[in-house]
Amino acid sequence: MQGKLSWRAKLRRDRSLLLMTLPALALLIVFSYVPMFGIVTAFQSYDIYSGFSASPFVGLAQFERLMTDPVFWHALENTLVLSAVQLALYFPVPIALALLLNSILSSKIRSFVQAVVYLPHFFSWVLVITIFQQMLGGAGPLNTALREHGWATWDIMTNPETFKYLVTGQAVWKEAGWGIIVFLAALAAIDQNLYEAAAADGAGKWRRLWHITLPGMRGVIVLLLVLRLGNSLTVGFEQMLIQRQAVGRDASEVLDTFTYFYGVVNNNFSYGAAAGLFKGVLSLILILIANKVAHLFGEDGLYRK
Amino acid sequence: MDRRQLLSLAGLGALSVAGGGLVAGCTSTPAAGPGTTSTSDLSKILPSYVPNTAVKPDIAGVIGANGAVSDPVFLSYPGSPVKTVSGVPGKGGSYTTMTPLWGAIPPSSGNAYYEAVNKELGATLKLQPADGNNYGTALPPIFAADKLPDWIMIPGWNTTNLNFGQAVSKFTDLTPYLAGDKIKAYPNLANIPGGAWQAGVWNGKLYGLPAYPGGAGIPGTYYFRRDMFDKLNINPDNIKSPNDLDALGKELTSSSAGQWAFDSMWDYLFQVFKFPMKWGLDAGGKIVHKYETEAIVEALNWHAKLVAKGYMHPDAIAGQSQNAKQRFWSGKVLICGDGPGAWNGDDAKSGTAANPAYRRQAFKLLSASGTPTVELNPGAGMFGYLNGKLKEDQVKECLSIANYLAAPYGSAEWLTVNFGTAGVTYNMENGNPVLTERGGKEVATTFQFLVTAPTPTTVGSGFTQVAKDFGAWQADMVKYAVKPLFFAMNITEPSQYSSIGQAVEDTITDVRFGRKPVSAFTDAVKTWRSQGGDALRTFYDDIRSKYGTGQ
Amino acid sequence: MTTRPIWEEKPTIAGQTSKTAVITVVLAIIIVPIYSVVLTSFSTQTSVNIAGGLVLVPHGLTTAAYEQIFSNQLVMHSLLVSFGITIIGTAISMVVSVLCAYGLSRSRSFGHRFILMLLIVTMFFSGGLIPSFLVVAALGGYGSYWSLILPSAVSVFNILVLRAFFSSTAQELIDASKIDGAGDWRTLWAIVLPTSRPVLAVIALFYAVGYWNTFFNALLYLPDNEMWPLQMVIYTYTLQGNAMPGTGVTQTGQYFGHQAVAPLSIQMAVVTLTLIPILLVYPFVQRHFTKGILLGAIKG
Repeated sequence: MQGKLSWRAKLRRDRSLLLMTLPALALLIVFSYVPMFGIVTAFQSYDIYSGFSASPFVGLAQFERLMTDPVFWHALENTLVLSAVQLALYFPVPIALALLLNSILSSKIRSFVQAVVYLPHFFSWVLVITIFQQMLGGAGPLNTALREHGWATWDIMTNPETFKYLVTGQAVWKEAGWGIIVFLAALAAIDQNLYEAAAADGAGKWRRLWHITLPGMRGVIVLLLVLRLGNSLTVGFEQMLIQRQAVGRDASEVLDTFTYFYGVVNNNFSYGAAAGLFKGVLSLILILIANKVAHLFGEDGLYRK
Repeated sequence: MDRRQLLSLAGLGALSVAGGGLVAGCTSTPAAGPGTTSTSDLSKILPSYVPNTAVKPDIAGVIGANGAVSDPVFLSYPGSPVKTVSGVPGKGGSYTTMTPLWGAIPPSSGNAYYEAVNKELGATLKLQPADGNNYGTALPPIFAADKLPDWIMIPGWNTTNLNFGQAVSKFTDLTPYLAGDKIKAYPNLANIPGGAWQAGVWNGKLYGLPAYPGGAGIPGTYYFRRDMFDKLNINPDNIKSPNDLDALGKELTSSSAGQWAFDSMWDYLFQVFKFPMKWGLDAGGKIVHKYETEAIVEALNWHAKLVAKGYMHPDAIAGQSQNAKQRFWSGKVLICGDGPGAWNGDDAKSGTAANPAYRRQAFKLLSASGTPTVELNPGAGMFGYLNGKLKEDQVKECLSIANYLAAPYGSAEWLTVNFGTAGVTYNMENGNPVLTERGGKEVATTFQFLVTAPTPTTVGSGFTQVAKDFGAWQADMVKYAVKPLFFAMNITEPSQYSSIGQAVEDTITDVRFGRKPVSAFTDAVKTWRSQGGDALRTFYDDIRSKYGTGQ
Repeated sequence: MTTRPIWEEKPTIAGQTSKTAVITVVLAIIIVPIYSVVLTSFSTQTSVNIAGGLVLVPHGLTTAAYEQIFSNQLVMHSLLVSFGITIIGTAISMVVSVLCAYGLSRSRSFGHRFILMLLIVTMFFSGGLIPSFLVVAALGGYGSYWSLILPSAVSVFNILVLRAFFSSTAQELIDASKIDGAGDWRTLWAIVLPTSRPVLAVIALFYAVGYWNTFFNALLYLPDNEMWPLQMVIYTYTLQGNAMPGTGVTQTGQYFGHQAVAPLSIQMAVVTLTLIPILLVYPFVQRHFTKGILLGAIKG
């Protein structure tokens, strides 16, 4: 009885706090949880003229078709390849930038550089791609200069072979600067006395970087790796969508665009929903695995054990 | 149905999977029929044809093969235009519309053209033109969200993704208003030939109001810069085959000068290499899809070869089809494919603005082997549909508005619908209406997409020679017309196959631009066949035995 | 000027030079394109013709492109839409997020663990695009402005950031206000919010930028080009190269009058328009981005 009373008392005490969470909860329930139940369409043959209730159920037929659809596998492959390229080429950039920035002594210069490199994060993809297209496209300053000198032009904006590098380059331009924030915070948290002691012991610059700085950033690096791996099935949907025309479907089809084009545009909602569900479940599994691995390495990862 | 509702309410994937095996049988047969109508039923539905004979053309239409008729030519707008509508058609109603527009969308507020037409109509049509190139993408969400406007234009080529045999249930059945002699209440609609209404019939009912009907409709053809050919002493009459075209590539391309021989050439190659637009018959009378023909492989190889040799404009290869006309006008590209509508006075005006010598001309029909052929479009390829939620008197008001909008060329109403108000958005120059600067910004093809009278060839922007050239070319072209398999028949394919063609089409794009080898295409076709291409053939065999082939 | 700690070696000249070079390159890669876009929007037709594209070296400046744009119905309307969405959306998001974050900020309060779980689940699993679309469509969001706001109004990440900050607000202050008889609402308003200005500014900026940049939702839910926000206008008329309404190019591509402005300048002027609000607000909020605020939240 004692417990029940305190339960009620607690509820009475915290009722305003609970009330405050209601608007956010309501929005999440309508726009996140209801769609989660809406994945039932993936098991239907959804027909836009009949709606949820009257569309026939087809069990796993959509998934069976998905599994034999080479376009879907190709989209999955593209997604993973792009993720891998981004992991290899994008991920180290913010770390390097943070180290570089941290070594600038003048605080004025440092905050100026910070202000500039954070900026592109706030631009939309439409804007970033417009800027890339205008700078590097066939009529941009780069190719105009190449043409004037009689050199071969560089068709990076339309070449499907190099599209993965273009996409990564755009991601670096837009997000790498912003990415340094967490690393800077980690660097600031390192005890300066450690450096002094190491220097007194005769450790050089690079030894200090290896033995003090990097271990100090390890937790953050692992955390971001876990997040990155968990998100490896999400690669720049808007980027792909906007540049699809320029490089063709083959280079730019990822799981998200597959869902959009085959689901909404081609009026095959159930098939698109099945692809979306496949991605959602796989992502969840990936993040759990990545987190487990982080735990094995003795790091917190996303949540503590 | 109750059991399904229960399942979906429960919202549990697991339950539906368990139930799946039992209900799955339902989907193997589509819920509705294919939307098709047999020829004998058609005769009961199609409106009567009462041609308007008040206006005589300067050059009459020429009758060609297989029922094709070239459009009559008018060299000036008839003086003292006749009135074909008495009284005010509208009753003050207000209706939302949606139409595609290929080009810049005019401003909606303060638009003198919109206001002028609406005033004459005695009703308000709220125009909402949407980008024509993405129109097919915009339609499925509108149906899915059930946000259809009161009056919407849907091109025939966009119906395939919409399971249209079922979609028409959202629209008003016009049969009770227009079938047979009932159409005589709307004389301007009765002036549209019966064949034009044919593709607006679904499931044995008339739904569509024809937009831009014509007896010589073809998807498109190949054009060249006549002025540049003359300058280089190339005789276009010697260009008869794709090899002849290819041979021009080197001479016409100078990438350092920013000039290329070709724009994208793919769209109309089916005429040249003789594969069907969609389905056709092989030598043994078996139904085959264009993907399965040898000819399409030849066409792909030919196109990829032009790209590999560097004869094609890089922007065309980058897929920027929206700027194709600008490339042609500015002489960056000398040969391109385009619809027959591209060859008119407005085009000449834009072209001569870039280069005073500009002259567009179409090649006589090209052929890879033997006599050329050209597959005809149905009497109309685009239709306006009225929302099924409209009440009977609203439908009648809309039809009476349609009767005004469909006023024939030469009438007073036609001038209003197409040009707005004299002195504001257009002026008569040399006997023809010409847009003013304001008109150029505000007038766009909008009302005409809701319903249109048969359109003759006319003089645009004062270019009389263009109208004569086009008329002569068309009179020659109709001699080679053939009807494709399932001509003007509305057939809704089972929806589970609605997206299987996408992968092949995307692969075709990659192959023809040389991004992938032809083997990628044959692989894609193999997948297509196993994913439903073969099943579709069976479906069409069935259609052929039940409804015929529309010949 | 921070001074170098005594224990650190004197920097070598080679090291110093290469460091400066790298930083200069990084800055140039970001600044030059932005500069070039803005410059092109102010360039004359001749200037654009000489460059053949984006202008790097000015040959004559003009504001003609902006005059064109400011008299252009479509662009001005989209600007209005973008501002409206951003202001209303940010207001809704901030109210909802601040309330929720504060509601969850007291450890040991009733049900807060469960609610937190509900929030976090949505970060790692979603029904996907299709069900979301169908839900928004079923609620009548298709063709309505709210489809750009409500589905994306709550960012769980932002709530976590706010919550971490609120939790660290000195407990003594809150207790003192409680003793004064203030309820939770009053405490939030009078004690917590005034001490949280930096984090509020940062989160408001995050939300505002999200709404300002909204693109895909507009593509998905708004078929009518008169309802488009600025990003859709750039996508359609700059990236896809369609002729922009009211710029003197008609549907058949005819040019009227003398074109004093290069179409590229007009396109870049629209691009510049979307940059300006960000560039204006950014310096004031930027200095709050620093340490801890974000990091603390991820591990909530």
